[in-house]
Amino acid sequence: MAVHRVPLVLLACGSFNPITNQHMRLFELARDHMHSTGLYQVVGGIVSPVSDGYGKQGLVLAKHRIAMAKLALQTSDWVTVDEWESQQPDWTETVVTMRYHYGRILKEYEQSKGTHNHSNGNSTPLSSPAPQLKLLCGADFLDTFKIPGLWLDDHVEEVAGRFGLVCVSRGGLQPELAVHKSDTLSNHRQNIYLVREWVRNETSATEVRRALRRGLSVKYLIPDNVIDYIHQHNLYTEDSERRNKGMVLKPLAKQAQQPVKSLDD
Amino acid sequence: MLSITYTQDAHDALQSSVTPALVLGMEAQTKTRVVLLACGSFNPITNLHLRMFELARDHLEDTGQYRVVKGIISAVGDAYKKKGLIEACHRLEMARLSTENSDWITVDSWESSQPEWLETAKVVRHHYEELHTAEQYNDDVDTVKYAKKRRMQEDSFEGASEHKRRGNTHLMLLCGADVLESFGIPNLWKQEDIAEILGRYGLVCITRSGSDPYKFIHQSDMLWKYRKNIHVVHEWVTNEISATHVRRALRRGRSVRYLLPDSVVDYIQEHGLYTAESEQKNADVVLAPFQRYTSTSSS
Repeated sequence: MAVHRVPLVLLACGSFNPITNQHMRLFELARDHMHSTGLYQVVGGIVSPVSDGYGKQGLVLAKHRIAMAKLALQTSDWVTVDEWESQQPDWTETVVTMRYHYGRILKEYEQSKGTHNHSNGNSTPLSSPAPQLKLLCGADFLDTFKIPGLWLDDHVEEVAGRFGLVCVSRGGLQPELAVHKSDTLSNHRQNIYLVREWVRNETSATEVRRALRRGLSVKYLIPDNVIDYIHQHNLYTEDSERRNKGMVLKPLAKQAQQPVKSLDD
Repeated sequence: MLSITYTQDAHDALQSSVTPALVLGMEAQTKTRVVLLACGSFNPITNLHLRMFELARDHLEDTGQYRVVKGIISAVGDAYKKKGLIEACHRLEMARLSTENSDWITVDSWESSQPEWLETAKVVRHHYEELHTAEQYNDDVDTVKYAKKRRMQEDSFEGASEHKRRGNTHLMLLCGADVLESFGIPNLWKQEDIAEILGRYGLVCITRSGSDPYKFIHQSDMLWKYRKNIHVVHEWVTNEISATHVRRALRRGRSVRYLLPDSVVDYIQEHGLYTAESEQKNADVVLAPFQRYTSTSSS
């Protein structure tokens, strides 16, 4: 039964500027959905905030975004924050971040299998299938694949084919259409899981920053300890919103491309 | 008791609030104090219910005329007979847990401890009286003035708005756009109750994008008459966490985390609340207000 299920790690890339309850909701929805397929056992979730080199307007320092994400996920027993992407000096393509995490996860798996075999004396091949890593993304993300020149074809191939996507949508046929319109995505459609969120919930980090700048309450949109952190460090002011204003985004400068993040807001 | 502790609560709320307008004591003197009352099933309470209080306070204080000193959550009693309504003791406890981290929202058990279902107007009236009894203690106002207040309460509601202006603290009913629209459902509300709630107290209505409360107010003569006492607050971020949705997810073993405070999620699990069985409670029972008004109108 459960032993045949494929262990799955969900990775979300984005600004997390700041992390909101809705970001964490996406993980919960995705996990429930993947469990309901009967094929997967979700063993972990990773929040990977983008590095400061991203150059997005209003992006506060990664150390703050990381600290807030850690506070928000203190009470989660399966989603964690990873700093690797944020520590890269430059903006990192999503596929590169995925390769890094998958390499790490595979290594852990090999090690645990190694020690398991050693202690048992014989291997039990059925007990633990190799883990998988899938990208967790919001509804609009799939649309970015069809923008000409935005993605390298082999990157799409790798993200959708080698890894796979879990896309949470808010109703409507937008994700289905995006898959239909792309030959690459269609080829890998068995590897693209569409999760329907029946309750519309559109808390975006942009709205949270706007409310904070205006001195309005953000309680119950983001966790209390994150609100405290924001006040302590006086984040999200009119000044901070002007950060990087007028700057060319790193991805644009690097590849003449638009930025693509799985959980952009 | 609410009547004894009220003033201290309000004082504390003022002291601990970080809203800049409140810090300016001088300015605060000229502002009308407001207590927000939300009535509902709270089956269970969700983050959206709590959000409504925050949105309403920001909106009212932003007008420069009001200072919101307290929020009250009043859960309906079990006699309401709504399908899937679990025991009030659980609903109240969940509301208490979820307001533990709020310095201004409180939970009141008076409504749910009544043996029979009470019209919302009566609940508002009760809290209004509590509020003004408390103020009277504190005011060293003589009994003559109090008697006058009482007399004026019994006057027509238009007359009462004069009184309302004199009162130190306003009580307003906080609700979603659906409640405003429910005023139009036959046999759900008594017309004089709507008049009392709108005329004497006032309504703060949180709307979701897509609904147009102004049109609804325009189309109803009753609402139009009291439009100045209806404060419409726009929720720009669509957020549709409904308690119905939460119960459905719970019955199906799906996660409700981040829709409700963690402490409430834990409480639900500990007590095994919201099962297929609990959803069948009152399944074939007519809702108390319908029972009451349809029987009176037909007899």
